[in-house]
Formats: sequence, structure tokens, C-alpha cells
Amino acid sequence: MPVIYLNNAATSWPKPQRVKDVLAESLELPVFGSGRTTGTQGIDYISLAREKAAGLFHADAKQIVFTHSATDSLNIIISGFLKKNRGCHAVATALDHNSVLRPLHEFQRDGILRFDIADFAGGYVSPDTISSLIRKDTKFAVMTHASNVLGSVQDVRAVADILADKDIFFIVDGAQTAGHIAVDVEKIGCDAFVFTGHKALLGVAGTGGFYLKDAEQIAPTRFGGTGTQSSELFQPEDMPEKFECGTQNITGLAALAEGISYVKSRGVADIHAQGMRQTKYLVSRFREAENIRIHHETPGVPVLSFNIEGLSCEDVGFILSRKYGIITRTGLHCAPLVHEKIDGGSGSVRISLSCFTTDAECTAAADAVLEIAENAAKRFNSA
Amino acid sequence: MRLKGSIQHKSCADGSYMKEYQLDEPLSKEFFEYLKYFGRVTALEEMGDGYYNFEKPNWFSIKGFAGDTTVEVRFKRETMEITTDFLYLLFSSFKEGADITALKEKEKFRQKRIAELLK
Repeated sequence: MPVIYLNNAATSWPKPQRVKDVLAESLELPVFGSGRTTGTQGIDYISLAREKAAGLFHADAKQIVFTHSATDSLNIIISGFLKKNRGCHAVATALDHNSVLRPLHEFQRDGILRFDIADFAGGYVSPDTISSLIRKDTKFAVMTHASNVLGSVQDVRAVADILADKDIFFIVDGAQTAGHIAVDVEKIGCDAFVFTGHKALLGVAGTGGFYLKDAEQIAPTRFGGTGTQSSELFQPEDMPEKFECGTQNITGLAALAEGISYVKSRGVADIHAQGMRQTKYLVSRFREAENIRIHHETPGVPVLSFNIEGLSCEDVGFILSRKYGIITRTGLHCAPLVHEKIDGGSGSVRISLSCFTTDAECTAAADAVLEIAENAAKRFNSA
Repeated sequence: MRLKGSIQHKSCADGSYMKEYQLDEPLSKEFFEYLKYFGRVTALEEMGDGYYNFEKPNWFSIKGFAGDTTVEVRFKRETMEITTDFLYLLFSSFKEGADITALKEKEKFRQKRIAELLK
């Protein structure tokens, strides 16, 4: 049975051939990067990836920091900010992922942060709701750019305007948007923008990073060798060394650079248009069944969460996988507060597309989901 | 019916521990009918040869299709040590005229231990 992979919001698959090629090529020669070798014969993949990421996000290369993942980035930014602003207040949202919620709860338990959660309605957090939670001692806000459950793209620009007026540091979690929609960090007006390499940027797991507008705003929380200013026994203040130490995931960053190149060559706008067209098709097909509940019918990235009445999300995921070879994700998707509101915390089935998802795969997925829904309705009717 | 062994396993997002088992004979509707003595069974009988899900809260769930020779079991991690042998027993005891009373006694004994553990 051929696999139809519709779990790209977790990790994208397949990867472009050129990403796979560069992974192999990057291991063909020794490492050539500044500061750690006399060799100059090969490609400095780290610098290349930094330039590519900066280009994609309309930032300066010195504002791009590489990490292991979006979660790693959020931890570095939040903990680094708190190091300079211990005891402050923050605002996050109910759409946020545990990569945000868990650090905030841990820091609150440790007594070094207090925070409030902005609720959402219809898939969106209103900028006014964020505004209403701001206090005198609010120093930072963090929110997802697009919900990993609902696919709803948030009005981060409007939020940034509100926060900038009050000099509040603004972190945008772009794990679900980078590669799916055009991101211009200057236009958004955020102070930090977090991305991951293994989703829509088509790189491999173990790569991620963040854009940081002003390096002075956060303190480093990891220390070690950078290959630069080695006589100094304190972490350099230069970017990106202030936040990057130890040997990087060079092979992974080679893949990330190539993944970004691929995304650019396909065109982010074209990728987005394809994903939206296919998502709209799935929504229209799912609407054919009365017992399918779509949790957000107009996502801005190709992420669609649903439940079938009378069946658990795990049942639906199991049947899709075993009977049809369709891989989705089920459960809470590491975003528990979203599910408290949309399904009472029981979890949903999530379909998420990539630029490699074909129309035929969408048709097969829609047919399969409708067949399961039809069977569930029969059981319900006969019960 | 016998569980021949686990062919894959993973930790699930809901905190449970999933094991996929190879069986020595195909699953059947009758097997899930028999499981109703021990928990809740839901079915989509027209889904392929029939999709079945057995739920026994705080113990484990069993999912599978009639006709398949593999089955997915999700254990509650905290009680897995107590419940695993009962899972094997459920499969191996399945036959016409199975001694349900004896199995219910064994279930009761384990249920007591589970209740103490989760107290």
C-alpha cells in the first residue's frame, strides 16, 4: 500500500532530491567553516544557511541564530530575556504550542515570571485581547504566527504595533508559517521570529533558529567555544556567537540552506496558493458529511483539524493509517489549550499538506475520511 | 489465539505505550464479542472486514481489523506491569466455551492492585 503522508506540520516528507543530494555532498569533504579550520577548499554551509535564512525573512545575516529546533529557539529567547528581566509579566496565547507554554509555566513555578494567556475566538487571538492583558510590568509577549492545530494565521503585525507602543518585546513563533507564507520580519515588526528547519523549509530534524532584531535584548544562557575571540573567557557579545556555541549541525544546516533555496525556487506565493487550493478542496469534501466537524474551515496555512462524530481521533487515525495508508496526526498536537476549547480536550485528527502533496492524494484522503464518516454514521444510526 | 510477539512499539502523545503484536491467526468479530466481557467494544463492521476497538480504562485498549494478523495495543503506562500478562491471557484463552468466570476472577485480582496503584 503506497503511503500518503499528510503529517507535514509535524515534519515534512518527502524532501526535495537536491536536499538529499546536499546531505550526502556535505559529508564528502571535511568541514570548512570560519574559526575552526585552516581549510578553505569547500563550502561553509553554516554561513550559506545563514544568508539563505536571512534572505527568506528579509533580515540581516547577523540577526539569524541557529539552534536545534523551534522549541530550542523559544527556550533560548525566553530564558535569555528573563535573565535580564527577572520577575516580569508576560502575555502568551491559548493557541500556543507547549514549546511556549511549558517554558512559561516552568519559569512561573520558579517564581521568575508571571503571565496571562490571551484567549481566542473563531481561531484568532484578537490584538485587543492581547492589549487588555498588558500590565505595567509586562515586558514580553509571545504568540504563534499560525496555530499548529487550526492553521489560522494570526494578525501579528497588529499585535506588534500595540506592543511596540509600550516597548514590549515581541516573540513570534513561526514554526508553522516559515516556508508556507511570505515572512518579512521588518514588516511584521517583531523583536524575535522563531523558525524550524524540518517542516515547510524542507530541511531535516535537528535544525532551527531565530531572527533577533536587537541582540542586547536577551542574555546568552549557553556558553562555550565559538571559534572566535578565544582568549576571552566570557561569551562573545558579537552576533551570532553570543547565542551559538559548540559545533553546529553542519550537515543539517547544509540541508536547510538547500531546502530554503528549493522553497524560493518554487516561490513561497505559489506554494501557499497550492496549499490553500488543496485545503479548500478538503474542506469542501468534508462538508459533504454531516458528522465531520472541521475545527477551522478557513486556515491560512495547509493545516486542517477535524473529528468524526462518535469516533475518537485515535480510531480515525488508526483506520486512515492501516486501511488506506494515509498518515495523519491525532491527539492534542502539543497545544492543549486549543483543544480545551475546540473538542473538550479529547484531541483531533490533523491533516497537514506540503508543497509535494498532490491533488490525487487529497482526493484519496477526502474519499477515505468520507468513507469512515459514512460508516460511523451507520453505526450511530443503528445504535 | 496467541500473541507471537511485539513487532514495534512507541510512546504515544497521550502518555500511553503502544505495542503492535503479531498474532498466530487472524482477528475476528467473535474475538471482540468475547472481549465485551472485560470492557467496552466499539465497531465499524462495514469498514473493510470490520474495525474493532476494545477499551479497558486504566488497563489497555486493543485496536484492529478483522482478518488482520496484527493488533495494536495501547497500555496505560503506570499499570502496564500488572496488565500485560492479562492481555496475553485474554488472547490465549479465547476459544469456544472459554472459562469466563475464571478469567473474571483473575481480572478482579489485578483490578484491586491497579486501584491501589492509582490511589
